[in-house]
Amino acid sequence: MRSLRKFILAFALYVALVLDGSLALFLHQFMALGNAACLIMPIGIMLISLFDDLNNKEIWLAIGAGIVADIYFFGIIGAYAVILPIVMWLLQKSARFLPEVFWARILAVLLAVVIVCCYNWLILSIIGVIAVPIKTMLVSLLPTLAWSLIFAILSYPIWRRLASNYPFMVNLDNYQH
Amino acid sequence: MKKFLQNKKLLTVCVVIIVIFSVLGTSVHLRNKRNTPLIIQSLGNDVVAVGTRVVDFPISLVSGGLSNVNELLNTQNENNYLKSKVTDLQQTNARNKTLEAENKQLKSALKIKATLSDYDLINASVISRSPDSWTDLLVINKGTTSGLRKNMAVMSGGGVIGRIVEVSAASSKVELITTSDKAANRFAVEATATNGKKVHGIITVIGNNTLAFTQALDSNKLKQGTQIYTSGMGGNSPKGLLIGSIARTTHDSFGLSDLIKINPAGELNDPSVVTVIRRKVED
Repeated sequence: MRSLRKFILAFALYVALVLDGSLALFLHQFMALGNAACLIMPIGIMLISLFDDLNNKEIWLAIGAGIVADIYFFGIIGAYAVILPIVMWLLQKSARFLPEVFWARILAVLLAVVIVCCYNWLILSIIGVIAVPIKTMLVSLLPTLAWSLIFAILSYPIWRRLASNYPFMVNLDNYQH
Repeated sequence: MKKFLQNKKLLTVCVVIIVIFSVLGTSVHLRNKRNTPLIIQSLGNDVVAVGTRVVDFPISLVSGGLSNVNELLNTQNENNYLKSKVTDLQQTNARNKTLEAENKQLKSALKIKATLSDYDLINASVISRSPDSWTDLLVINKGTTSGLRKNMAVMSGGGVIGRIVEVSAASSKVELITTSDKAANRFAVEATATNGKKVHGIITVIGNNTLAFTQALDSNKLKQGTQIYTSGMGGNSPKGLLIGSIARTTHDSFGLSDLIKINPAGELNDPSVVTVIRRKVED
């Protein structure tokens, strides 16, 4: 069972993905007010990349989580499956220049949320799944950022603990002797 | 060209972009054309759906408790309203039974097995929703094992709310009727005009999630409040499912044709339980 510890982060992202769908359903009346999006799993990916910026294997975690999210939520592959690895790579590269403090990381996450929302809007518009005017998309960014701030603050300690104690595909037993 | 081919980074970026668009195009094509998703996709859907059911349980307990309190506050008003309807309902039920029996006898006399208005009902619970508010997709807890198929109509709160766009073994995706998806199948509908004739058309979405009755001839003979039902002519839905009622009639942006806006009858904002309609007549 100890060998499964290196996959705990993947399981946590699965739970976050499930929570995305469930909270989008149960909080729809509040989230629909400003067309806000529920981005718990993408926020998890962003925080993991900031906490564990030297682990190159985590890019596979982002690709896997992105493909599963795309299949489950949209039925097409190319939205989260593309933008999550890109965002992870960008945040891992920028983590070394960012101060390792709470608010700096939260600001980086919010900036990444804007990138994710804009990309999703662009790609879903190109393939004709949505026909949302750019003005509506830009207005929806504000409530999305507000909800993302709440989710990021609440989940920050969880992702920090998971990313430092159970890094993806790294066997920590090798470092204990 | 030689310089371009020697620049490995640029070449890699180009290849990645081509791969992304190829995967995207293929998956969109499969989504629109195939009746059932690929096995791997179906498996992925069901694995996440199982987790969703587990997570939904505690959340629904909390959410259900809060809505129960709200319902208790409205109980007295609802009770008074329902009391006034009980007498009418009993009479309507009795009449319906008589008409149903008569209809059955007439069908057997004419040797008609199934008509456009015959359908079965399959109840399901909504377990998840797309995390963004743009795509208008719900996930329900029934799939092919319960007899669901792509393009079946879905109702909630007394009216049609959408249709099934993807079916896995134990879960399905429902696209709401208010979707702006350009590839979505639209409902063929009909309404009774003031002169008693049927007006046929289709349901489309205009502007901000507003439903409209379009491609209708003699649309000026439709009054405000007229109810709109599915006509069964689209080949997927049965006849007689309530879509909504006419809110108002205006002209389109060019001023050439009538634009009939519709108030949807179904519960589009918070559908927790839905009914999938299985048409008896084959395509």
